[in-house]
Amino acid sequence: MSQPLLQRNTRSLLTWLPLVMLAGSVFFYLTLIGHIRHMKHQQLQLKQNNFWNAYALDTVHVPARLAGEYDIRPGAAREDAEADSANLAYMAQTHQLDGRSYIVTTYISAKEYRHLLIKAGTAEAIIFIVLLVAIIIVNRSTSRKLWTPFYTTMSAIRGYDIRQNKPLTMDTITGVEEFDQLNKTLLALIDNVDQAYRNQKQFTENASHELQTPLAIIRSKVELLIENPNLTEDNAQLLQEITEANERLSQMNKNLLLLTRIENSQFPDVVQVPLSQLVERQTRFFKEYYENEVATTTMTIQPDVHLTANAALIEIMVNNLLRNAYIHNIPGGWVNVHLTDKTLTIKNAGPRLEGDPERLFDRFRKGRVDNRTTGLGLALVRQIAQLYKYEVHYTCQEGVHRLQIAFQ
Amino acid sequence: MKLLVVEDEPSLLNSITRYFRQEQFLCEGVGNYADALQRIEDTPYDCIILDINLPGGSGLQLLQYLREDKKKDGVIIISARNSLDDKITGLDYGADDYLTKPFHLPELSARVKALLRRKYSDGNTGIELGELRIDLAARTATNKGQPVGLSKIEYDLLIFLVTNKNRVVSRQAIAEHLYDGPSDQAPGPEFVYSHIKNLKRKLKEKGCPELIQTVYGLGYKFVV
Repeated sequence: MSQPLLQRNTRSLLTWLPLVMLAGSVFFYLTLIGHIRHMKHQQLQLKQNNFWNAYALDTVHVPARLAGEYDIRPGAAREDAEADSANLAYMAQTHQLDGRSYIVTTYISAKEYRHLLIKAGTAEAIIFIVLLVAIIIVNRSTSRKLWTPFYTTMSAIRGYDIRQNKPLTMDTITGVEEFDQLNKTLLALIDNVDQAYRNQKQFTENASHELQTPLAIIRSKVELLIENPNLTEDNAQLLQEITEANERLSQMNKNLLLLTRIENSQFPDVVQVPLSQLVERQTRFFKEYYENEVATTTMTIQPDVHLTANAALIEIMVNNLLRNAYIHNIPGGWVNVHLTDKTLTIKNAGPRLEGDPERLFDRFRKGRVDNRTTGLGLALVRQIAQLYKYEVHYTCQEGVHRLQIAFQ
Repeated sequence: MKLLVVEDEPSLLNSITRYFRQEQFLCEGVGNYADALQRIEDTPYDCIILDINLPGGSGLQLLQYLREDKKKDGVIIISARNSLDDKITGLDYGADDYLTKPFHLPELSARVKALLRRKYSDGNTGIELGELRIDLAARTATNKGQPVGLSKIEYDLLIFLVTNKNRVVSRQAIAEHLYDGPSDQAPGPEFVYSHIKNLKRKLKEKGCPELIQTVYGLGYKFVV
């Protein structure tokens, strides 16, 4: 499972550092004990030598024992001994004087050494804990500082949208060579992708543009041909079919061109569009145009609603919404248009939508086989809405289709 | 009436000139900037149909030259460029009208005739076809003095057919003409039929003879 970098780093420090420190502590403790033993031995040995030398010089006046210091008794031990007992540490050695053996036992206090061991141990534990905390804090703060360019890069990439035509800017001098390289590589990569994307869009636009001329030629030739007085009904039928196919192709091509031009941000001139007037005028036109198919059109329009946008695009958006409502209607059906300063809602009676409503706005997605539509109308609506950050909602319930654009 | 068509696509140029010649226009066609300039200098035209993208120069330059020279030739720009900017620039330069490619020939013809009518009307704003009279200023039609109550769409339809009288006008051309929004977003031609039917009925009710003929499934013809 993946964790944030900092957390992962701290976790590994927390796992390994205490282990290393524990090993260090054990080593320190063992060394300390060794040293203490050595010191006790040295001190006992020194006493041993001093008292024995003093006693050997003057056995009469120098006492044979001094409590807590030494004890000299005749006799021979099997071997030298050194040990701790209660609060004292002692050393017993056999010495020779004038052919007689004496056992000399010297004592020192063992309590101080034990205290020293405890105090040193405690101090060490405190130091280790402080060290552990300090290392983690320092490590975290340096890591955070060190990785700052990385997070900057991440947020720059996250905010980048190839469709928005905004160039990506990243520092190529971050102070860390690896990050400089990362940023340079990413910039180069995105530049390539961007170039490919632009070429693709340019291609679509150029292709649509170039297609216009032959389409226009076909149209003009057909228009000359239909005036031929010798035209038979049979030929007229063929011409009719050619015209219909050609007009559909033309319309599709125009819409494709429009889509790519919106994507290429070629509608920069933004004005205050009088939406109320526009919606009213368009609705009146459609109402009259489709009066024989759609029986009732009702509208409630809040006056003086304006949008800051490109006039042509808003007109296209409104047109496509309305046309959609009229074309995908039922005989004798109805359309309702409702405009406020926040939303434009168009409701219409219509057959049940087949398929996924989410895909309704996809290019070339059609509700039913219908050669009156190009399958691009709602894709255009979505594209324009996206451009101006309007929200598009579609719902369909019991034969009522409702499309809403929320301006914000 | 003398027309000059400046269009670099030979096939399209041929269609346009042919279409206008069928209506007894004196129509000349040229395909590049230099030829167009030559013609404009030599002869005054009633109307020039001008493409913007030309080999050797821009249609806008020609327009500029015309207007600086105080020539009164009517100018209709035809351009594949569909941006509002181009339209405004064209009209600012002194064009009389602007039509986006691809267009229907009857539409171009209607524009040319409307321009010529404005130019030579001398205040006469009516069209008379036998007993049918159309008042262009008031946007009304009367037959034998009786007003024919027409809706906006029916009136526009009548004018379009009358302007293209004795010619076949396709349903697509009618649909695109009737729509007063962006020309590339006009509704489909499937409902033209019902408006034609209504128009015919209203004219007949006022005692007007059958003037509108249906040409197979192709379109309609206003016969005078």
